[in-house]
Amino acid sequence: MVGLSEGEKHFIRGGIAQGIRTDGRRRLQFRALSVETGVIPQANGSARVRLGATEIIASVKAELGKPNILHPDKGKVSIFVDCSPTAEPTFEGRGSEELSTELSVALQRCLLGGKSGAGAAIDLSSLIIVEGKVCWDLYIDGLVVSSDGNLLDALAAAIKVALSNTGIPKVNVSLSAASDEEPEVDVSNEEFLQFDTSSVPVIVTLTKVGQHYIVDATSEEESQMSSAVSVSVNRNGQVCGLTKRGGAGLDPSVIFDMISVAKHVSQQFIAHLDSKISAAEAAAE
Amino acid sequence: MSAQAGTGTYSPAAAAGDKRREKREELRRHLAEDANWPRADGRSFHDCRPAFMQTGPTTAASGSAYAEFGKTKVIVSVFGPRESKKAMLYSDVGRLNCNVSYTTFATPVRGQGADNKEYSSMLHKALEGAVMLHTFPKTTVDVFALVLESGGSDLPIIISCASLALADAGIMMYDLVTSVSVSCFGKNIIIDPTSDEEAWQDGSLVVAFMPARKEITQLTLTGEWSDGKITNAVELCMDACSKLGDILRDRLKDTATLTSE
Amino acid sequence: MEFVDALTGFRVDGRRPNEMRKLKGEVGVVARADGSALFEMGNTRVIAAVYGPREVQNKGQQVNSKEALVRCEYRMAEFSTGDRRRKPKGDRRSTEISLVIRQTMEASILTELMPRSQIDIFVQVLQADGGTRSACINAATLALADAGIPMRDIVTSCSAGYLCSTPLLDLNYVEDSAGGPDVTVGILAKMDKVTLLQMDAKLPMDTFENVMGLAIEGCKAIATHIREVLLENTKRLECQRG
Repeated sequence: MVGLSEGEKHFIRGGIAQGIRTDGRRRLQFRALSVETGVIPQANGSARVRLGATEIIASVKAELGKPNILHPDKGKVSIFVDCSPTAEPTFEGRGSEELSTELSVALQRCLLGGKSGAGAAIDLSSLIIVEGKVCWDLYIDGLVVSSDGNLLDALAAAIKVALSNTGIPKVNVSLSAASDEEPEVDVSNEEFLQFDTSSVPVIVTLTKVGQHYIVDATSEEESQMSSAVSVSVNRNGQVCGLTKRGGAGLDPSVIFDMISVAKHVSQQFIAHLDSKISAAEAAAE
Repeated sequence: MSAQAGTGTYSPAAAAGDKRREKREELRRHLAEDANWPRADGRSFHDCRPAFMQTGPTTAASGSAYAEFGKTKVIVSVFGPRESKKAMLYSDVGRLNCNVSYTTFATPVRGQGADNKEYSSMLHKALEGAVMLHTFPKTTVDVFALVLESGGSDLPIIISCASLALADAGIMMYDLVTSVSVSCFGKNIIIDPTSDEEAWQDGSLVVAFMPARKEITQLTLTGEWSDGKITNAVELCMDACSKLGDILRDRLKDTATLTSE
Repeated sequence: MEFVDALTGFRVDGRRPNEMRKLKGEVGVVARADGSALFEMGNTRVIAAVYGPREVQNKGQQVNSKEALVRCEYRMAEFSTGDRRRKPKGDRRSTEISLVIRQTMEASILTELMPRSQIDIFVQVLQADGGTRSACINAATLALADAGIPMRDIVTSCSAGYLCSTPLLDLNYVEDSAGGPDVTVGILAKMDKVTLLQMDAKLPMDTFENVMGLAIEGCKAIATHIREVLLENTKRLECQRG
C-alpha cells in the first residue's frame, strides 16, 4: 500500500514528464542491478537478483517424472511464484495469492511459449530421457523477498540467471530387453550438463504515467500509472510474450510504439544482465 | 509374468492419445504450410464463427447475457451495484468483482476447466477500463461468468458477453468491450480458433477492444512473434472486434424496442 | 545409525558434541521493511522482517488497547527443503511455529509503551536444515532491534538433543530426524530467564538438566554474536552520519 500526498503525486508525475525521476534516473534507465548465483545449495540452480529495493530469489529444481501422454517427446516445466510477507505486510496469509497467480501466469506466458512449444525459452525436448517414459520435470520457484515495484521484470531476470546457473545431472539409462518395463535410470552425482539459456527472454515492463513511459518503475511510480505493458523479448529481438496491466485503454499505435521501445531497451538489458551473470559466476568460482 | 501380461493388454488411453496426436500433428502441418487449407468447420482463416448473443437469460440478475460461438457457450450474470462489504476500506470509486467458472461438463475431460484460474483477473482487467467506476462509489458490481461448454476462444467470448451483460444491467460504461483472439501457425494467422486448433497453436494473441473509442483495454500474447505479424494480427482482431461491437449494439437495440412496445 | 563416532567423538557433520554451527547475522536485508535481518545457523537460513509499530489494521484482533498487538507469520519457501513439495499455506506446523515465535517475542517487547498499535513479524525460511525454530527467533530478535522496537532484553534460542548417550548442541536436520529427544530453549540473555522451553520424546530427569544446560550455553553464545552484529551495525550507522 502506497500512501502519497497530492504534492508527492504531482512531484512524481512532473518529474517523469520532464525526464528526471525522483531518484534521479532518466525515463528509460534501470535501477542498480546486482546478481548472485548459487544461493540455494539444495537446488540444481539458483539466483538472487536485486533491482533497487526489489529482491527476488529464484530456484530451479529438476526431478524425474513421466512425460505427458500427448507430448511423449517433451519434458515439463512449471513456474510458481510466492510473495513473502516480508516484502509487504498485506501479503500475509492468503493476501498474496492473487498477485502470485498473476505473476506466475504472466511468467508462464512469457517463458513457456505456445501450446505446441514454439517460442519457448527452454527447449522441452532437451529434457526428455526416455521417450514416453522418463523425463525431467523442471520446477522453477520465484520468491519475492522485498518488493519495490517492477516485480515481473525482476522475476524474469532472476529466473534467467537461475537457469544459467542450473546443472542437470547426467543420466545413464540401461534399457532392458522388454520395452514395456520401466527403464532403469542411474542419476550421476558428479557430472552435470549445463543448460542452454541463450533463448531465455527478458521481460521489460513499460509503465505509462501521463504521456510518457518509464522502465523499472518503483512502487510509488507504479501507483501513478494509467497502464503498463510487459513485453518479453529474446536475444534475437523476437517478442515472445506480452501482457497489459492497468485499466485504462490504450490507442493501438501507442501499444506498437511501446513494443518497439521495449525491444530496444531489452537488448541493452540482456547485454547488461549477461555481463552481470558472467561476473557472478566468476565470483562463485 | 506381469510384463508378459502387459504386452498382451490393450490400453485404450495410450492408443487414443496416439491417434489424437497424429491427427492434430497433421492438422498443424496443414495450417502452418497451406494458406488455403479449409479449417475443420469449413471456415477460411480470417472468418469468425457465427455469433449468437442474447440478453436476459437469467431473470434474478440485474443484467445478463448469453453467447454462443460454435461449440463455446457462455452465460454471464451481473449483480449490483450493491453495498461493499464492511471489511473493505472506504473507496470513492466502485469495485468490479469478476469471477469466471466452468461447469464440470464444460471440457472433454471432466473438471479440466478449473485450470483456467487466471481468467477471472483477466476479465477484470479487460473490463475495468471501460466501466465508469466513479459513478457508483462505495458499492460493488459482481460479474459472474459461467462457461457451459468450452469450444475454444473462451476468454474473448466471456469478455464480450460480460460487457453485453453489464450494458443490460444499466451499468455506466464508456464503451462496449469486445474481444477476439487469433492463433498463429507457422506464418499463418487464424482468427477465432476452436479448442482443437488452440491445443496445437504456435502462439496466440487476445485483444479486448472498445470499438467506438478505438482503444485497446487488454492485450496478451504468447509464443514467438515477429514485428509485422503482431501488427497484422492486432489489426485483424480490431477489425473483427468492431464488427462484433455492431452485433452487440443491435442486440441491445432489440431489447430496448421490445420493452418499449 | 551412529551419530557420534565412538572413536573420535565427532558428529556426522564433523562437529564436536558441544560445538555450534557457523553463525551469521546480517541486519537490514529488506530495504522497505522497518526492520529486517538475515540469520544463518550452518545451512539453515531465515529472513525476518518487522513492520510497525503502526495503527492496528484489523480492530477485531485488538484484545487490550493499552498494549501493542504483536503478530507473527512463519512461512517456508518452496525450495527450502530437500524434496520439493507443495503445501497449503498455513498448515498446522507453520501455525504452531508462528504462535511459538509470537509468544516468545511478546515476552521481551515492551508492549505497554505502544498502546493501540501493532507490530508484525514475518519470518521466511529460505533453507531448512534443522533448528528453524531457533533460527527464526534469533532472526526476529535482530529484526526487532533493527526496527528500534523497545525490548526488555535480547531473546535468543538454541536447540540441543541427546543421541548415542551424548548431549549434542544445535541439531542439524539429520540429527533432528533421528527421533531422539530435542530440547529447544529460548532465553532472555542478560536477565538469565527462560522464555521458551519445548521438548519432544523423553529424557531422564538428570540428563535433561545437562541437555538444557547445554542449550542455554548455546543461547548465550548466540546472544554474544547477536550483540556483536548489532554493535557493528550501530557503528556503521554512526560512521555514515559522520
